[in-house]
Amino acid sequence: MNNTFNINRFGLLLRRQWLDFGKIYLLSLIVIFGVLIGFYAFNIPKAQDGLPPMDLNYVSLRFRYPIFGIVGFLFISIVASSYFSNLGQKSKAIIDLMTPSSTFEKFLAGVFYTAILSVASYLFIFYITDFAFCKYIDSSFSTFPYDASLTFMGKITHIHGIHAQLLNDEMDFEEYRGFSFLPFLVTSIFLLGSVYFNRFHYIKTAVSVVISVAIIMYIVYLSVSKIGENMVQITDSQNNEKIAFTIIFVSSVILCLFFWVITYVRLKEKEV
Amino acid sequence: MIKIEHTLVYYLTNTVDMIKINNLNFGYSKHKPLFKNMSMQLSNGHIYGLLGKNGAGKSSLLKNIAGLVYAQSGALDVMGFNPAKRQPALLEQICFIPEEFYLPSVKIDAYVRANAPFYKKFDHQYFGNLLKEFDIPVGQKLINMSYGQKKKVIIAFGLATQANLIIMDEPTNGLDIPSKAQFRKIMASAMTEDRCIIISTHQVRDLDNLIDTVIMLDENDVALKASVQEITEKLTFKRVKEIDESIIYAEPSLSGYNAVMPNYHQEESKLDMELLFNAILAEKIKFKPLFN
Repeated sequence: MNNTFNINRFGLLLRRQWLDFGKIYLLSLIVIFGVLIGFYAFNIPKAQDGLPPMDLNYVSLRFRYPIFGIVGFLFISIVASSYFSNLGQKSKAIIDLMTPSSTFEKFLAGVFYTAILSVASYLFIFYITDFAFCKYIDSSFSTFPYDASLTFMGKITHIHGIHAQLLNDEMDFEEYRGFSFLPFLVTSIFLLGSVYFNRFHYIKTAVSVVISVAIIMYIVYLSVSKIGENMVQITDSQNNEKIAFTIIFVSSVILCLFFWVITYVRLKEKEV
Repeated sequence: MIKIEHTLVYYLTNTVDMIKINNLNFGYSKHKPLFKNMSMQLSNGHIYGLLGKNGAGKSSLLKNIAGLVYAQSGALDVMGFNPAKRQPALLEQICFIPEEFYLPSVKIDAYVRANAPFYKKFDHQYFGNLLKEFDIPVGQKLINMSYGQKKKVIIAFGLATQANLIIMDEPTNGLDIPSKAQFRKIMASAMTEDRCIIISTHQVRDLDNLIDTVIMLDENDVALKASVQEITEKLTFKRVKEIDESIIYAEPSLSGYNAVMPNYHQEESKLDMELLFNAILAEKIKFKPLFN
């Protein structure tokens, strides 16, 4: 018997965890779905209000960006923060820790549910909500007369009709690729919080993150000020942006792996 | 891998010390130790009754054996494994029934479907029989059951795993009077030569006629570890009218005194666990030479 990892045992563990975690998870997903629908319904332009604000040749739906970010952050962080919260309660922790699977499998199940499933399901829920409302805008404005010619970047663009564009078509992913690992970093931090703290996991993790980030930023600011003393700043904005995004991506991968390793160690050391 | 399986087979087919505790030091804070250099061996084929005052460390000892807490120093060997590593090969051989537990909001069959596959030897038919014996409504959700009913489900599940080491912390808490008798009957029938059962309790009368060895914890160590046979060979439990010098410990009763005295004449008497418990706590030094 392999005492570190066995694929059958891991499958059994995922099934077992779903029994307890699945209901809360599905309920959270329904709540998130409702919240997204509410935000969209409140913010989308209505045909009876006249011509909607446009971004070049599509209806402007800029409210989607903060909603996507804030609701997504809340969802994945809450899910991650609740995953190992059972271990803070004696009555639940004993049953969980005594389940015949390895600590590594228990940790991997946590990563699967928090980093993979929660991020994927949020993207899916957001996509179908966005898709449904874009189709709704398209159909409600289909009879609305709109024909315009405008000059954009030296070229004349003709716009016929009013259409909404899906967020994932509108977003320039090249521009945001540096942040693509951030959701995993967020889940890794809150997963660690769920195993580290025994009570009030979410609040304690959030406060710890805020304090840590503030301290790090202050140290970075002081260091940069000290290094940059009596120096002239020469900027190459395009190149700087590229470097910044690469640094963000690499550091989020490293930090995420670091937090996962600590979570695994904490899980191994967990006592009742 | 092969070594692990061989170790398990060895432990389960021979009468050996299933649990070896050597110089165990444990405490929830470094300045307040609960166990100081505790050493003890427990073998298969026995039902051990673990007794002690509140805070003597009964639950903590069980948790140490199950790998739920870590010792500060010393060695703990359970069927050839270090329980602190929480390896699946050992975990599937341990059935731990805690005093406080949580069961999810599902029906029994869903709970069994999710948890039983972890235990290769899980006996579904035996589980069904135990539920019937305990009179548990199978279609009901676990969360809607009373504490006693939940406890019966978890005991039935634990026994059906066919684990070789059964650890029970206050198993009779929350059980009604008929259920306690059922519990004793079921535990007696669950005892096999390859199993080791450890039951911790405050309610010593619940373990009457069930346990074969008494372990008593006091003052950071094992105050007594002796089989019921050994105890009744060395001590006699009697009702006396007057106290004399031969009596080690006595408690007043309606018709005189309940007394414990050395069994010089090989008299047969029934072990009074409650009296023995109080006697050991009060006169530990006097008992020590008898159970060295």
